[in-house]
Amino acid sequence: MFEFEIITENFSSYLDGMWLTAQLVGIALAAGLVMAVPLAVMRVSNNPFLYRPVWLYTYFFRGTPMLIQLLVVYYGLAQFQWMQDAWEAQSPFWLLFREPFFCALLAFAVNTCAYTVEILAGSIRSIPHGEIEAAQAMGMTPFTRLRRITLPSALRRSIPAYSNEVIFMLQGSAIASAVTLVDITGAARDVYSRHFAPFEAFVFAGLIYLLMTFAIVGLFRLAEQRWLAHLMPRKTQAAH
Amino acid sequence: MYPLIVDDIHKSYGDHDVLKGVSLKAAKGDVISMIGSSGSGKSTFLRCINFLEKPNKGNIIVEDEKIVLKADRTGALQPDAVQLQRLRTRLAMVFQHFNLWAHMTVLENVIEAPIHVLKISKADAMVRAERYLERVGLWKFRNSYPAHLSGGQQQRVAIARALAMEPSVLLFDEPTSALDPELVGEVLKVMKGLAEEGRTMVVVTHEMGFAREVSTHLIFLHQGRIEEEGVPREVFSAPKSERLQQFLSGNLK
Repeated sequence: MFEFEIITENFSSYLDGMWLTAQLVGIALAAGLVMAVPLAVMRVSNNPFLYRPVWLYTYFFRGTPMLIQLLVVYYGLAQFQWMQDAWEAQSPFWLLFREPFFCALLAFAVNTCAYTVEILAGSIRSIPHGEIEAAQAMGMTPFTRLRRITLPSALRRSIPAYSNEVIFMLQGSAIASAVTLVDITGAARDVYSRHFAPFEAFVFAGLIYLLMTFAIVGLFRLAEQRWLAHLMPRKTQAAH
Repeated sequence: MYPLIVDDIHKSYGDHDVLKGVSLKAAKGDVISMIGSSGSGKSTFLRCINFLEKPNKGNIIVEDEKIVLKADRTGALQPDAVQLQRLRTRLAMVFQHFNLWAHMTVLENVIEAPIHVLKISKADAMVRAERYLERVGLWKFRNSYPAHLSGGQQQRVAIARALAMEPSVLLFDEPTSALDPELVGEVLKVMKGLAEEGRTMVVVTHEMGFAREVSTHLIFLHQGRIEEEGVPREVFSAPKSERLQQFLSGNLK
């Protein structure tokens, strides 16, 4: 049977793990989204010097597993002499690559950014051409058009697809435990090895992920009501 | 001073010549209707006026200011971007498919360009928005999104959006062609009112009633050339060209 005592005894480790997962995922998503906006604009450009590098980047990071990316950053780079020399010299920047938290954050952010770029680029491409023409005909500069019409419209229409990316990121973050981090999954592993109760340890971890997913879905529903009202059927007669 | 002079516009797509030298002059208060069968080049001509299509040859002069064209590296004529953006604010366009910004409310659609292009204050833009949305009878719908309005209402919002720029010329590109028949009247009524206010308008249309009753000048375009033009009532009652006779007999039921 399910031994609840194992969970209650280790509840604080799970909470610590949950906090670490939340930080990792939250910061990586925020950084990834901020980087993704300019990259998505480059991605849809007609200039090959702008779109080719971004295409290569998203192809590469969507084409390899995030776990491999994380292992390369954390274990792979340490193999090189120049990295060890930089650590020897106490270079503050390169020392970050000895921190598992930083490495996980970097891998997650770069990975989610690649997916987000493609989501946003798709939304930018699907803006009705007439809306762009109307902006041109009003005398808007290309930058004003981007800032006032294209991006606000594209970002809003990206919300449903982006909510998927956020949920994938949460589940994907379980690999952080592969580089010694004690996130939710890491906490579950510790509990498993301490008590030899894998069922309790991992089922409870799964339950926490489930609850966090539930919260994310709820938040996105609010966001859609706020920012996608223009695509929903009207609730009441607009005039009064 | 003419608000708009368009001189000898040529436009081709590859080997296909769409416009073969079309000109018009709009004095203040003129309402110029352009009619013609589909493929005659009338919409292309209108879109050349504000450079949504780039003409291959010809001049456009807005309020005595000529749009400067320079040859780019490939030899194609390009307008000066800064000047074009400024002159476009003098030529407001109303599109066949309304082209309202879907993520903005009616009010936001109307105040957007005055604030972010003309750089007037939000308070002033609101004054304009109220004036012109009242003018088209939609102030009470100001907080609705375009998708929640009928086609006729959307087109009236688009007209208010154009008016809020306080342009010197209004360009209408088949403004009622995408509307259900019962919604055409409300849009034409607004346009008729604008014509009576003395606004300068160039209207590409299939509405022969509007062309005949409201406009001051009629241009019949055929295969990229002006086949016939003149005072609407005279042209309608005694069309000289055979093409126009055929066109009218097909259109006036």
